[in-house]
Amino acid sequence: MSRKVITLCYRKIIDVTNTSAWDKFVHEDSFAEFKMQAQFYNQDQRYTTFAEMLLNVPEAEKLHFLVSAAITGYLRQLNGIIPDILDNLGRRFLTFENFKFELINSDINDLEKHKIAINFFSKPLIWHGTIDNLLLVSQFKESNEAEVFTNLFQIQSFVSIHAIKTID
Amino acid sequence: MERKNFIRSLMIGAISTPVIIEACKKSSITDGSNTSGSGTAGTTTSTNGTCTVAPTETEGPFPTKLPASYVRSDITDGRTGYKMTAKITVGNLNNSCAALAGAIVDIWHCDAEGNYSEYGGSGMQSTNYQSVHFLRGRQTTDANGLVTFTSIFPGWYSGRATHIHVHVYNAAGTSLMVTQIAFPEGAGTSVALVNGYSKGLTGYTYNNADNVFSDDKTGVEIATVSGTLAAGFELTFKVNVKA
Repeated sequence: MSRKVITLCYRKIIDVTNTSAWDKFVHEDSFAEFKMQAQFYNQDQRYTTFAEMLLNVPEAEKLHFLVSAAITGYLRQLNGIIPDILDNLGRRFLTFENFKFELINSDINDLEKHKIAINFFSKPLIWHGTIDNLLLVSQFKESNEAEVFTNLFQIQSFVSIHAIKTID
Repeated sequence: MERKNFIRSLMIGAISTPVIIEACKKSSITDGSNTSGSGTAGTTTSTNGTCTVAPTETEGPFPTKLPASYVRSDITDGRTGYKMTAKITVGNLNNSCAALAGAIVDIWHCDAEGNYSEYGGSGMQSTNYQSVHFLRGRQTTDANGLVTFTSIFPGWYSGRATHIHVHVYNAAGTSLMVTQIAFPEGAGTSVALVNGYSKGLTGYTYNNADNVFSDDKTGVEIATVSGTLAAGFELTFKVNVKA
């Protein structure tokens, strides 16, 4: 029987309105790192916003990557568990190794304009089926076992199926 | 669901957590990597909106304030190559080039194959968070103006001589200097000994043809590099900044 293997993406948006400690650390530290790294692409100090830098200095695209070093330590503190997203039992169940950090908007003079996203990419899941509005999934394993433990969860805002592959 | 509502739903959990945090602190639950106990709990909250599942887990892990992952002396991150220790001293041009303590020094260079750590391509591609910033590091100068990095000898790529990027900031993070370190060339030098790793030096760009270093007629951008393939190399370089 063929099986559908999916990878989920959760795009966690963080701005000045986020209040949890983890979110605030990520927000403040990525802003501090942005201010440092942006100077490389803004040596004449002509621009203040990330958007202006991107428009005028296309290499500033690398700031997404360069600023991400400010937050990888915090990713490690999550112990491989994607935050916020719960299964129908109210438990976090998605694991990750891969991420992508995005600067959405920023301004070197204004912490309040600093808005970022962390895309968490789940480890592969097998999508067994859909019950009502819930997806039934289990951790992908190479071997075909007789019985596997499953999670039911609802696709919600800022969560999407990132990749899909059908295997036999 | 609108973003505003989504963000609000994120916040609900945060506001309701402190009691649980206190309860957990009394037990021995930690985040496993840091036991300083200065953090507060993260948000564990549903983003389900109209059809919400209440968070029903023990709180944690507990975040603690961390520096950027650049802050480390060994920047190798599993990259293979001939060992290289880089000792960079920062001097102050406004003080007769005397040692500048407390300056922040970022360095970055390519691996043996000539590749930098960065996102591979644009768009959809993701990165493993464990080793994403290889061969990039940050240190703060000591009383002698010195920072030391452990790395590998850089490889090369088309159009450029072997080099290391350096960005010096003051203690507040304000940029003081962006520059690059060049390597000595010729028989017996580190560049000749390493011989471009597996690529060889066919097609290599030497300093006098390099678009960054070719105007450096006096060699002020060229580091002192000693050592052997077996023992590794030691690079010393002085950067003078206006601080």
